[in-house]
Amino acid sequence: MSHVPTPTQTYDLSFARWVYGHVDGGDRLALCMQCGTCSGSCPLGPQMDFGPRKLFMMIRAGLKDQVLGSNTIWNCVSCYNCVVRCPRQVPVKHILQSLATVAVREGYPGARETDNARFAKAFWWSAAKYGRTDERLVTAKFYFSYGLSKGYRKSMANLAIAKGMVKARRMHLGLPHKCKNAGELKLILARAAEIEARHGDAS
Amino acid sequence: MSKTLSYYPGCSSQATGVHLDKSLRAVLGKVGIECREIEDWNCCGASVGHICAGHVPVAALSGRNLAQARAAGPEDVMTPCAACYLNTHATNEAIRDNPGVAADVNEALGAAGKSYDGSLLVRHACEVLVNDVGVAAIQAQVTRPLAGLKVAGWVGCQTVRPFADTERGGKWTTYDDPAFLDDFTRAAGAEPVPFTGKTRCCGGSVAVISPDKTLHLMKDILDEAKAAGAEVISTPCPLCQTNLEMYQPAVNERFGTDFNIPVVFYSQLLAVAMGLDASADAGLDQHLITPEPVLSRAK
Ligand code: SF4
Ligand code: SF4
Repeated sequence: MSHVPTPTQTYDLSFARWVYGHVDGGDRLALCMQCGTCSGSCPLGPQMDFGPRKLFMMIRAGLKDQVLGSNTIWNCVSCYNCVVRCPRQVPVKHILQSLATVAVREGYPGARETDNARFAKAFWWSAAKYGRTDERLVTAKFYFSYGLSKGYRKSMANLAIAKGMVKARRMHLGLPHKCKNAGELKLILARAAEIEARHGDAS
Repeated sequence: MSKTLSYYPGCSSQATGVHLDKSLRAVLGKVGIECREIEDWNCCGASVGHICAGHVPVAALSGRNLAQARAAGPEDVMTPCAACYLNTHATNEAIRDNPGVAADVNEALGAAGKSYDGSLLVRHACEVLVNDVGVAAIQAQVTRPLAGLKVAGWVGCQTVRPFADTERGGKWTTYDDPAFLDDFTRAAGAEPVPFTGKTRCCGGSVAVISPDKTLHLMKDILDEAKAAGAEVISTPCPLCQTNLEMYQPAVNERFGTDFNIPVVFYSQLLAVAMGLDASADAGLDQHLITPEPVLSRAK
């Protein structure tokens, strides 16, 4: 009688294939040779649940929930170390951040709660509404997304920095900077959002 | 020389990086580059826009800027900001090379009766200074060399990535050991100290969001600069400058260190070395940590 075990489950490649076809840069993911250059180069590697190399293997292993639920996709600081060093030209940064967008869209618990997702939302609000980033409004909106008391505490913790910036004339006290033609930008972004949704639906 | 370029200053030029914009314009004026600001430019989406909005809306942001620039003329687009450069350049290349992206962006721009064909070149201000002006021509304008000033040249990560291999980029820089910043330091009559962390990351937008995650990255940069005997750190990136300056007290608190190293822009050093005013032209009075070693030599 044979002692060699018989697996009951084989790798399900459906998730990997979806990522290859629908995530920014995913078309090069199959070329990953698991060398680990990306993880070793990543300044945030130690803070990640697992580095990009392992995450990419988990995608191939079909571990959708662990991949989209990981903090790896939220810790990328866009330094491009991985992108310029990967021997297979895998755009690691693009794949990670695109997976973050997928995690939000798929309603992964935690995805909307991460600091990066909150900040991204506040940032986009300012860029889309005014056509410019007003760091005062973005940080205020970001801080108070945690609720009133936590937002207040976070703001107070940064008061010294804000005061210094005002004194250095690098933070102004008046109305937000804006595009003159913010209405035109709004039309463009509304149409762009429709196109984005159309692509999302097709996936 | 005399040359006109489209200029995209980016959001930081009106706030945290106002001293970069000011000093760069002053230096460009000295070397004969005229900046024609893109009419009513908008935000590029920086490093986080796409996470919330997706790729098409972020591409549409740069698409509108490029359409405005193209409508004003065929001149190259220049920007001094790492993130602006990254986004605008990437979108420009995608519109040029990827028919799907070109169609999406133009469909979005069509909502306001605009379009863009991908025919411009998007360039970083440092690359323009190196390739179009030339380090020798910059040096020729220096009348007040910053003799003996020890400078750690910290390029930061995004400025040279991922475009060091573009057709022009390859001539002026490399991914991991770019030389142009030290060349600017020498042109200003100052002395670059050996600094291996040239393209180290400060944590970028994550440093703004959750400084705790990235204080150790800033400590590494400060450690090396201090050990090398740098009096100031010079950088081209507006976010690098702000992060490394404003978080030094937090780094000190976390690690028990006592850093207080001024962080300045290369363009501020060049401006004062060219004899321009330290405050009105170079914005050296707009720092959280006063760049005393620079000011004392600029008198
Ligand atoms: S560096 Fe590239 S090939 Fe190596 S593990 Fe990372 S993605 Fe894969
Ligand atoms: S771009 Fe993101 S994943 Fe890549 S090395 Fe930098 S932080 Fe890590």
